[in-house]
Amino acid sequence: MARKRKKNEMQAGELNLTAMIDVAFQLLNFFVITSHPMAVATNLDVFRPSPDQTSQPTKPPTVLRIMVLNGGFTLNDQPVTLAMLKDKLGFVTANDQTQSVLILCASDSRHGSLVEVLDLCNRLKLKNLSVISSS
Amino acid sequence: MRKHPEEYLNGNLTAMIDVVFQLIIFFVATVSMQDTVSDERIRLALAPSGKAVTTKDPREVNIDVDKSGQIRVARYPYSHREVAFMLKKLVKDNGHNQIPVIIRGDMQARHDAVQKVMDACAAAGIWKIKFAALKERGG
Repeated sequence: MARKRKKNEMQAGELNLTAMIDVAFQLLNFFVITSHPMAVATNLDVFRPSPDQTSQPTKPPTVLRIMVLNGGFTLNDQPVTLAMLKDKLGFVTANDQTQSVLILCASDSRHGSLVEVLDLCNRLKLKNLSVISSS
Repeated sequence: MRKHPEEYLNGNLTAMIDVVFQLIIFFVATVSMQDTVSDERIRLALAPSGKAVTTKDPREVNIDVDKSGQIRVARYPYSHREVAFMLKKLVKDNGHNQIPVIIRGDMQARHDAVQKVMDACAAAGIWKIKFAALKERGG
């Protein structure tokens, strides 16, 4: 009798954790492999000119007009590349960061090009940005 | 005196199992916290100079525009008229105050598709809008 009880105690103490650890490591591997770093989002603020502003017949001379075309840009009606636009805007805004920028987008232009211009203006700390669509 | 070979195998695994489960709980929790409302098919343009978004306004409306020009709000397709109607109602419910509108346009989307959303915002009296972009791309 005493011999039988001793045998039961020995069996209760043995617990095989190998399978559970295997599953745990499988889960861990799955999550490590499938998880990826999250993208950092940003929001670029723009203003839409109100109807009163768009009805003004003439534009003030201090306004910079950037046109976003399908495959290019113009600055005050002069064709420029993005690098040239960066240089020219940097030169113009070196002393005046309150400069108003009017961004006109052609209907067939890509949205990525508009974001590039907005990012450039953001880098140059230009705050008065307005986006309008040109037909 | 030499140890019996079985004595080498009898290590205490409790701490290791605890760490493994902590890691699993961490990954399960962070995966479920990812934003499921936004459409991950939209490839946002890069804007490295923008400020990283750290806070989220509960009133903000995210409007997706995919590269084919389809407008979606919370993954449901909307026409620009429906977007205008929805925004008008939200502005009215908000006491005719401005509500933050974020346009998540695909980098390949044509501007005329984005323009429809901008016009819908204008129709609702929203003049200040935001364009979503990525400061850094994820993995």
